[in-house]
Amino acid sequence: MREYKVVVLGSGGVGKSALTVKFVSGTFMEKYDPTIEDFYRKEIEVDNAPSVLEILDTAGTEQFASMRDLYIKNGQGFLIVYSITSLQTFQDIRSMKEQIIRVKGVEKIPMILVGNKCDLEHQREVPYQEGAALAQGWSCPFMETSAKSTNNVNEVFIEIVREMNTSPVKENKGCCTLL
Amino acid sequence: MNYWGYWIRQFPVQFDLDSKLQTVIKNFGTLVQQKGNSTFKEPIDLSKVPSYDWMRSISVRNPSMRHNRKVSLVFNHLEPEELADHLTYLEYRAFRRINFTDFKNYAMTASLKDNPKLERSIALFNGLSQWIQCMVLSKTTPQQRADVIVKFCNVAKKLRILQNFNSLMAVVGGLTHSALARLYKTTACIPSETQKMLMEHTELLSSNNNFINYRKVFHQCTGFKIPILGVHLKDLILLHTALPDRVEGNLVNFRKMAQLSLILRELTKLQTHDSIPGVFANMDLINTLRLSLDMHYTEDEIYELSLAREPRNSLSSPSTPTKPVVFAEWVAGMRPPDPQTINKHVHDMVEAVFKNYDNDRDGFISHAEFEAIAGNFPFIDSFCVLDADQDGMISKAEMKTYFIRANCHALRNSFKHDFHEITYFKPTFCIHCTGLLWGLIKQGWKCKDCGINAHKHCKDLVVMECRSKASVACNRRLDSLSSNGSGSQDLSYSTKRKMSQRQKRTRVHRGTQTEECYFVDPLPRELGEEGDFRELHERLLKAEEVSKLRDENERLKLMLKSCEEQIVVLQSQIGSIQKNTISFILEQMEALHIQRDTKV
Repeated sequence: MREYKVVVLGSGGVGKSALTVKFVSGTFMEKYDPTIEDFYRKEIEVDNAPSVLEILDTAGTEQFASMRDLYIKNGQGFLIVYSITSLQTFQDIRSMKEQIIRVKGVEKIPMILVGNKCDLEHQREVPYQEGAALAQGWSCPFMETSAKSTNNVNEVFIEIVREMNTSPVKENKGCCTLL
Repeated sequence: MNYWGYWIRQFPVQFDLDSKLQTVIKNFGTLVQQKGNSTFKEPIDLSKVPSYDWMRSISVRNPSMRHNRKVSLVFNHLEPEELADHLTYLEYRAFRRINFTDFKNYAMTASLKDNPKLERSIALFNGLSQWIQCMVLSKTTPQQRADVIVKFCNVAKKLRILQNFNSLMAVVGGLTHSALARLYKTTACIPSETQKMLMEHTELLSSNNNFINYRKVFHQCTGFKIPILGVHLKDLILLHTALPDRVEGNLVNFRKMAQLSLILRELTKLQTHDSIPGVFANMDLINTLRLSLDMHYTEDEIYELSLAREPRNSLSSPSTPTKPVVFAEWVAGMRPPDPQTINKHVHDMVEAVFKNYDNDRDGFISHAEFEAIAGNFPFIDSFCVLDADQDGMISKAEMKTYFIRANCHALRNSFKHDFHEITYFKPTFCIHCTGLLWGLIKQGWKCKDCGINAHKHCKDLVVMECRSKASVACNRRLDSLSSNGSGSQDLSYSTKRKMSQRQKRTRVHRGTQTEECYFVDPLPRELGEEGDFRELHERLLKAEEVSKLRDENERLKLMLKSCEEQIVVLQSQIGSIQKNTISFILEQMEALHIQRDTKV
């Protein structure tokens, strides 16, 4: 079974944790313990192939600048999340792709642009077209999701697995060669 | 009523710091008294709550000094263990102040707004990572850079022993940051055992399997330890998102509260140590370090510098983004330190430096000593000149102005040049590759502000500051800062003057600067006959004036010559005086060394 490491990036308050929790726990979970080893692991089937996803939720550590590089180094696929109700969060992620390229040292990286909180249509600040345009610029898929109403949550994770299958990150290229 | 008493006894901090809670309790107390129940007043008497005043303030306050060993304030002379001790001291001070309310607010709002204590701690974390990157990148050869990396790896080793995982994360994060990881030549100079050690530390802090390595080690550690704040904040946020506050029937979700309290209790328990075992802080070093870590750069600036130190290998790396992207937004929640804080930190640091280096207590230190201290603050010594009155000694005021300038220096802008295509009339060389600017016309590009020249393909790679711009930006910010430091205004003026003098000197030395002019069309002339006549008359007048001026010029030239002769005489005198002074200083130092040695 193939393992995939997915990193969820985005500014504080865009609902990264909510998205992650919705995905790993499905509808109901008896007991939550965020400190255990396999809390963020989930098995799903993508295109008839069983896969294990290990999700790295970066919530709470957004402000710790140097932790971000370590996260990106570890990840294989990236969900870049903003909230459609906050233009600021959309601006924040504009430079994300460049940063990932810097750390990874390759141009083609599996990633998806995600506009979360699409249930709050009446508070929308970022039009769908703008998100789509940015994704086109990055040449990556774009999706609007809602962790609250479980809209597109599983689909986003399935899509990132597909992305990783088509363009796997070559490990350690551009990184320091040790020993 | 006894529950209240129990609550107050258990969590005195909240009752001292939370003003809302205090008012509620006081109102409750008066209500109880009005009802005539004076026996119940005892348990809720807030006057017995000890003061937690020290938790209110964000900044690090100097505690009583038990040990004040003589330490060097200069990075190059600092032992890695010493550095780790002092970083831990700063870290713990910042960590200890963060209380329950701060954690709660961050978990709920995911923002640092109105959360200065947590913000301070995170600023320290980021400052440390950036300082490491800058210290490494400030060195010019791969071997020198590797030496700094090795030093910080040893700092990391000591931090692990001290069980200070937060600083360890900041150090490892800084050392493995993409701006340093890409330096192949530097990496080649790092000894393999150091590389192995760094890899082990990276492994320990890896986010793999939900930070399993770190969590295991952290739980095995006993006694004093500082957690990776980010990881625990993440747990808090996740629990808060995952579980509802209320369950069926509008009942409080007790399970959630219990789980949150587990995490919070662990964090607050770690804050109870009064001192760090085995660490004795030297406050002067603390003050110097604190200012070093205040420096504010963006990721982009650091990365640009990294590219300049070891340019990209065009074969194996992705294409260069032509336009630099600003990455500062991501840390948008973090404000740069405000002028008051900078002023205070600069003041403390300068006082510390003078306490340690101004041995005869006359308020001056020598240039060499200053240069050594400035080494702790990479990149800032390049754009300002100290010793405004050129007396060879540096006063407190001069040093303060220097650091305030340095701190407010908008590095971001200072590296951007205003390049324009230009035609040179003499052979001119590129500042970046030092090659000739070829061609007959429009051979190269020149910065309008500072006058450096470069090839078209080199101009984006230039990593030289735009000096004129830097000083303008500084002066602007300095104006807002100078209200505290009297006399800094005129000081800044003379500094600027001296700077331009130095610039002129270096220009002559380099010999790369040649005459040029902007490529412009001659002005169209549309004058009638009358106009022509008047013009002729004016020219005649001017010609007369010119001959007068020529005479004047001759006279002035003679004067200049005699002045120059005087200068030569004076310079030779200065030379002899300097020789004497230096030999005197050397003797003194010799004597001091002997004294110290005998003391030890």
